[in-house]
Amino acid sequence: MDSDRTRSGAEASAPGTGEIIGVSDLVLVTGSTGFLGARVVTSLLNRGFRNIRCFTRRSSGLDGFDVMVGGQHAAGVDVIRGNLLSRDDCIKATKDVAVIYHLAAGTGEKSFPDAFMNSVLTTRNLLDAALGHGVLRRFVNVSSFAVYTNRNKPHRGLLDESCPIEAHPERRGEAYCYAKVKQDELVVGYGTKHGIPYVLVRPGSVYGPGQRGITGRVGSGAFGIFLHLGGTNVIPFTYVDNCAEAIVLAGIRKGVDREVLNVVDDDLPTSRQFLRLYKRHVRPFRSIPVPRLVSYLLCAAWEKYSTWSEGQLPPVFNRRTWHAYWKGSRYTNTKLKALLGWTPDVTTAEGLRRYFESCRIRERDVS
Amino acid sequence: MSLSVAIVGCGKIADAHAGQIRRIKECDLVGACDREELMARQFAERFEAPRYFHNLDQLLEEARPEIVHITTPPQSHFTIARQCLEHGCHVYVEKPFTVNAHEAEVLVELAERRGLRLTVGHDAQFSHAARRMRSLIRQGYLGDTVVHMESYYGYDLGDPMYARAFLGEKGHWVRMLPGGLLQNVISHGIARIAELLSGENLRVMAHGFVSPFLQRLCGEEVLDELRVIIVDERGSTAYFTFSSQMRPVLHQFRVYGSRNGLVLDEQQQTVVKLRGRALKSYLERFVPPIILARQYVGNTVRNARLFLRNDFHMEAGKKELMAAFYRSIVDDTPPPIPSSEILRAARLMDSIFEQVRIPSP
Repeated sequence: MDSDRTRSGAEASAPGTGEIIGVSDLVLVTGSTGFLGARVVTSLLNRGFRNIRCFTRRSSGLDGFDVMVGGQHAAGVDVIRGNLLSRDDCIKATKDVAVIYHLAAGTGEKSFPDAFMNSVLTTRNLLDAALGHGVLRRFVNVSSFAVYTNRNKPHRGLLDESCPIEAHPERRGEAYCYAKVKQDELVVGYGTKHGIPYVLVRPGSVYGPGQRGITGRVGSGAFGIFLHLGGTNVIPFTYVDNCAEAIVLAGIRKGVDREVLNVVDDDLPTSRQFLRLYKRHVRPFRSIPVPRLVSYLLCAAWEKYSTWSEGQLPPVFNRRTWHAYWKGSRYTNTKLKALLGWTPDVTTAEGLRRYFESCRIRERDVS
Repeated sequence: MSLSVAIVGCGKIADAHAGQIRRIKECDLVGACDREELMARQFAERFEAPRYFHNLDQLLEEARPEIVHITTPPQSHFTIARQCLEHGCHVYVEKPFTVNAHEAEVLVELAERRGLRLTVGHDAQFSHAARRMRSLIRQGYLGDTVVHMESYYGYDLGDPMYARAFLGEKGHWVRMLPGGLLQNVISHGIARIAELLSGENLRVMAHGFVSPFLQRLCGEEVLDELRVIIVDERGSTAYFTFSSQMRPVLHQFRVYGSRNGLVLDEQQQTVVKLRGRALKSYLERFVPPIILARQYVGNTVRNARLFLRNDFHMEAGKKELMAAFYRSIVDDTPPPIPSSEILRAARLMDSIFEQVRIPSP
């Protein structure tokens, strides 16, 4: 692998507009037919990019993607199908690519090995392939707030890019968190060892039309009735279009290599406000508010029992989870705005309105 | 005595093995191996295995395990198991044991020749309920002979998104098996029948087809419905039903003897006795429901006690099978699953796949 070639590629072709690539440069979007990926492609098209390679699984449907971006026949969009676990597919996908937006990930998997395989091995294959071609100017790794720990911060302490990463993600009992921490580590390692220019983008809770369910930061319906665990915590929402725009900017703006950028919108609602609005605009349902101390004690008790019983109950609720999701933090997008010049185009009020409307339509269709 | 154990193949099922291995006091996990080194490393990190490898030779030479658990895709079971046996290791192979009966025969013969223990991960046969049923059968509850068995094995493909992702990749190892999806999932249901059948000459009639649900998703490429009739040398018969569409998703086994019957529900962990003799007149319409209700209450109480005693893990059968396998090594006693049963299950599956049309990927 030749890391110098990668660096010289970056230096050779900055177009001098505050951006590292021009609209005719080839960009690759993995996970491009997903909830967020399709919006990233749309955002790139809106910015005039006309050489977009969209990588998607062979098994992925393209219906939603077609509606969103005008389909694989849209001008400047080339959809290629494959499997990121295949090195050959990655080599083909990354050929001549200047910027990679890596959104494909193992989401929603309960199995640690599956999540790891679909997040870390895929990323390793992409990075190796890009190194081989030697023309990559930036690798945008889309990570998550799930990697942070706020255990040593006070209630409502500020969670920003300087917040520590979960040191033992395997103890969180959450495969996604584990895989994302390891994926970030891998990317940083490639940056250090091979000089891959990267940016880590960490969105908060991405929401918008097409998303299903209520984020676990608000509560859980796992026990048949909705337990409202978020209380007065601020939920780190980012509307899907705003988030996509931030991701796109992270791939093209100069001077942000090796940066970590958290993505949250302005005027964030509290969990209680969100739940009230959801019930009013989508459907009413019963929920039980769980005070913070009670939720902490329940999580601690569950964790203790899980350990004592050698996993008779899996450690899905534990103190690390509680800190990450229900303790309550404050969030900022100051760095994102300062480095990328990003502003959320869609206000939170408007974003929630669109989200609730889509939820309402789905509820109506289901019933 | 502490046995040294290693795992080859660090995917999803390896987690289930390691979770139970560490609950068994008499063994130590000494290493993990996966041809993808990152997978081996993540496994070793999470389960505190002292060493990890991406080369089987290295694992066998350097970690020197006495027992190897093979949790790779089935296509590689034979090669890896043979290498481990030739190296002098006892071997626990995850189901399906091999891709065909010939490979199974070679492994069984090799293990016997080398004086090593070999087992297959038919762990559902060692759950609490399955052991209770076996105990009743051994006590003669069914009578002199097994007349008929019915084994139901349901499989929930989940929502269409999941099924599409799982089945959409033509190169997925499940699609590459000679028996396709069926081969990867019917072992538990077939093994129950194999345990109670006699002899080697079995008559098998199988019919497989694609459910309308999968037809919509991926055409005629993956069989997900199977019906089988089996007759053994003594005339005992069995029906096997595999379905991805039948609701509820059953993991149920019914066995009828010359005197009584038994119903095992693997998911509910219940065993219900079916009385062979009917009561007189109207009593038959009022008393048996009460007897059945009493039995279900008894099952509930038993399950609750097991849970409170911290012995009701989802993978309790796996732990029991592992512990029994390890004991057979230490005590030099027969393995928990006789080799004849392993071979019978493998031959049954061969016969089934010969009769149903498994589309090539």
